[in-house]
Amino acid sequence: MTERLRTTLGELLTSTTGKVGVAFLSVMVLISIYALTANPVDFGDRLWNNPAAWADNPKNVPPAWTGLFHGSRRVNHSVLEAIAPAETRLSTRFVERVYALDVDFPYDEAPTFTSFSLEEAVYQQRPPSVTVSVTRPDGRTVNLYRLVAPAPRENEPSPYRRYESTPFRVHLTGEPSVAGEVSAFLQDDFGMSDQSGSLVGRVDDAVFGVPDAASETGFRPLQGAYRILVTARFQDENDYIGRVRFVVGGSQFGLMGTDSLGRDLARGLVFGFPVALTIGLITAIMATGIGTTMGIISGYTGGKTDIGIQRFSDVLSNIPLLPILLFLAFILGQKLWIVIVILILFGWPGMTIVIRSMVLQVRSGQLVEASTALGASRWRIMLRHIFPQMAPFVFAQMIFFTPAAILAEAGLSFLGLGDPSIPTWGQILDQGFRTGAVYVGYWWWVFPPGLLIVVTALTFVLIALGMERVVDPRLRTVRQ
Amino acid sequence: MTIAKTLAIRGATLVGVLFAVLVMVVVTLGATGFSDRMLTAIVNEEVRGLRQGLAQTIRDADELEAALRDHRQELEASYGLDRAWYLRLPQMIGRVIRLDLGEARTLKTADGSSSITALLRERLPRTMMLVTTASFITAGFGLFFGVKLATRVGSRLDRVASLFAATSNALPAWWAGILLILLTYVILSTFGVRVFPPGGMYSAPPPEGGIPRLLDLMWHAALPVITLVLISVGSWTYVVRTMVMNTAQEDFVTVARAKGLPEGTVMRSHILRVAAPPILTGLILGLASSVGGAILTETVFNWPGMGRLYYDAILSVDESVVVALTFMFTLIYVSARFTLEVLYIVVDPRVRYS
Repeated sequence: MTERLRTTLGELLTSTTGKVGVAFLSVMVLISIYALTANPVDFGDRLWNNPAAWADNPKNVPPAWTGLFHGSRRVNHSVLEAIAPAETRLSTRFVERVYALDVDFPYDEAPTFTSFSLEEAVYQQRPPSVTVSVTRPDGRTVNLYRLVAPAPRENEPSPYRRYESTPFRVHLTGEPSVAGEVSAFLQDDFGMSDQSGSLVGRVDDAVFGVPDAASETGFRPLQGAYRILVTARFQDENDYIGRVRFVVGGSQFGLMGTDSLGRDLARGLVFGFPVALTIGLITAIMATGIGTTMGIISGYTGGKTDIGIQRFSDVLSNIPLLPILLFLAFILGQKLWIVIVILILFGWPGMTIVIRSMVLQVRSGQLVEASTALGASRWRIMLRHIFPQMAPFVFAQMIFFTPAAILAEAGLSFLGLGDPSIPTWGQILDQGFRTGAVYVGYWWWVFPPGLLIVVTALTFVLIALGMERVVDPRLRTVRQ
Repeated sequence: MTIAKTLAIRGATLVGVLFAVLVMVVVTLGATGFSDRMLTAIVNEEVRGLRQGLAQTIRDADELEAALRDHRQELEASYGLDRAWYLRLPQMIGRVIRLDLGEARTLKTADGSSSITALLRERLPRTMMLVTTASFITAGFGLFFGVKLATRVGSRLDRVASLFAATSNALPAWWAGILLILLTYVILSTFGVRVFPPGGMYSAPPPEGGIPRLLDLMWHAALPVITLVLISVGSWTYVVRTMVMNTAQEDFVTVARAKGLPEGTVMRSHILRVAAPPILTGLILGLASSVGGAILTETVFNWPGMGRLYYDAILSVDESVVVALTFMFTLIYVSARFTLEVLYIVVDPRVRYS
C-alpha cells in the first residue's frame, strides 16, 4: 500500500503538469502555514470584520507597487508614531513635552486624509492640553488641532487615566475645527478670504500645498520635509501621555491595496489560503472516503445492498448542487462546517457509482477467487485485496474533487452566503461586487481573489492530469 | 418494449431526484421552524384581507374580533398549523409543487404583482432565453472545433485547446463575468466607448419599436451569453475532440476510408454517428453546472431572470421565494435531463436493442 503510494508520487513527479502542480501546491501550503502562524485563529471576528482595526488605512486605494507605473508620484501611506518626547520644556507653571514626527513628502498630490490619535493620558489634577501643528518645508507653521483631556468625574480618584483602552482618534480631514484653523492660516499667510466652511474634507490640500488658482483643487502640492509637532502641556511633572500617532493617508497601500473599509486586502487574501485548502481537502477526503467505502461494499456484496446503494447514489448524484447548496445554506445558517457537510453529502455518490463498476471487474478476478478459496473473510478481501487495486484511482479522484469543493464554496460566498466569521476569497469578491467596485474599476479588489481561486483549482487539476498515467497504465512509459 | 423500459427507469430516477429534493426542502423547512413562519405569514395576510371585507358589514368591534378569530382558527386548521410539521409534510409538498406559496415579501414583477407564481412566470422565460442561447452557441462551437481538433491531435493548436479546456473548467462563472465587466470598464475609460452595458436587460428607458428593442436586448444579453459560453465551451470542445479521436481510430473508419468515401461522409455518417452518444453524455453531465452557472451569471450581470431573483430573495431573506426557486431549478434540471435521455435513446441504437 505505502509502496503503491510511493510509486504513485514518483510517477506524478515525472510529468511536467504534475511537477508544476506539486510546486504550486507546496507554495500554497507554505503560505497557509505562514497565514496561520501570523494571524490569530479568530482573524475574521477580531480583525477582518472589525472596522476599528482598519480605521487608519486609506479606503479603496490600489496596491503600492502600482505607483511605479503611474505618471505622477502618488502618496505612500505613512503612519508616524512617537512614544518619547523630542523635547521637554520646564517652566514654573507647567511642563511642556513636544513630540516630533518627521515625514518626507515628495508627492504630486495631497494625502487622501490625515488623522491624529492619542493613546493614554494620565494626569494628577488638571487635564493636559495637546496641540497638533505642522511645520512645512516653506518654514510656515499651521496649527491643526487642540484637545483637552476630559476633566475628572465626581469622586474619581487621582491620578486620572484617559484614552487607555480606546485611544482618542480624530479624522483631521473631516473635522470642522481643523478647517477653521487652516482657513485662519490661509488668511494670515496667503491673504486669502475666509473659507472655513468649504475647507472641511479638503484641508490636506491646503496643509500640504500652496494656493494655485490654476489647479483643480485650488492648491498645488508643496514637496519637501514636513514636521508634525504634538505639544502636550501638563500641570504636574508626573503627568504624561503614552503614544501619539499621525497618519498621512496614502493614495496607494500595501501589497494588494485596500477595500472600502480600508482593510488590507493582502492580509485577507493570505488568510484565504488555509481556508480554501481546508475546505477543498476535507471535503475531498471525506467524499472520496465515503464514496469508495460504499462503492466497494455495493460492488462486492451485491444483491439488495447493491441495488439500494445504487438507487440512492443515482438520485443523490443527479441533484443539481448549487440550488440545493444555496437553499440549505440559506435555511440552516451561514456556517462553514455546514457547507462542508453538504458538499460531502452530495459529493460521495458519484464516486460510489464509478468504484462499484471497477469492483465488479476485480471481483471476478483470480486474486479475489484465490483469497476466497484460502478462506479470507469478506472484510479482509475488501480491505486487503480490492481496495489496494482502487487506491491510485481513488487518490486521483480525491485530487480532482478538491477544486470542485473550493469552487462551490466560492460561488456560495459570492452569493452572500459565506460564513462571515471566516473570510474567504469568495467573500472578498462578493463584497467587491456588492459595493460596486467592479463598475468603477477597482481591479485590485476583484481580480486577485478570483485569480487565486482559479490558480488553486488549476493546481489540483494539474496534479490530477499528472496522475493520469498512474491511473491509466496504458499511458505509462515502459519502465521496469 | 426495451425503449419504454429504459425510459421508465431513467424517468423514475429523475422523478426520484425531484421527490428527494422536495422532501429535503420541506423537511428542512419544517425542522427549522421556517414552514411555521411561512404559513403564519400567509394566514396573517388572509386575515388582514378578511378584516377589511368584514369591517364593511360587522360594525361592532368585539363581534368583528370574534369573527376574525374564528376565521383564523379555520385557516390555521386548513393550513395545518395546528398540527406538528411532520404531519403536514404531504400537504406542504403539494403546496410547493403547485407553487402555492403565497406572496413574496418585497420582490415584485414589472406589473407590481408580488405573487410568487407571477414572479416565476415573468422570470422563467428570461432565464431560458439566456441558457438556451448559450447552450446552442456552445454546442455548435464545440462540435465544429472539437472535430477540427480531432483531425490534428497533438498539434500546437490541440495543446493550446487542452490547456484552455482545463482553465475554463477551473474558471468560476461569476469571476469570468466580473472580468468581462472590468474589461468593458477599462475600454470605456481608455477609449470612451461603451462596448457592452454592465448589466440589466434593457436600456433605461428601453427603445421604442420591435427591432430596436430586440437589438437592445441582444446588446444586453451579449456579455452574459459570452460568460456562459466561455465557462462551458472548453470542456465541451475537449469532450467532442476526445470522442471523435477515439472513434476515428476504429477499424470501421479505416474501412470506410478504404472504400474511397469522401472525408466529409466518413466524418458525418461514420465517426460522428458513433461518437454522438458519449458526446451527449458529456452534455448531460455538464447540465448541472450550467444551471448553477446561470444563477451566478445572472447575478453578476443583473439579468432579471430566476438566478438574479434567487440572489435578491437571499438578500431580502424571503424564504418562500427561495423554496419556490430551489424547486423550479431542480424541475428545469430534471426536465432538461429527461429530454437529453430521450435524445440519447434516439441516437444510440444499442440502448434500444440490447
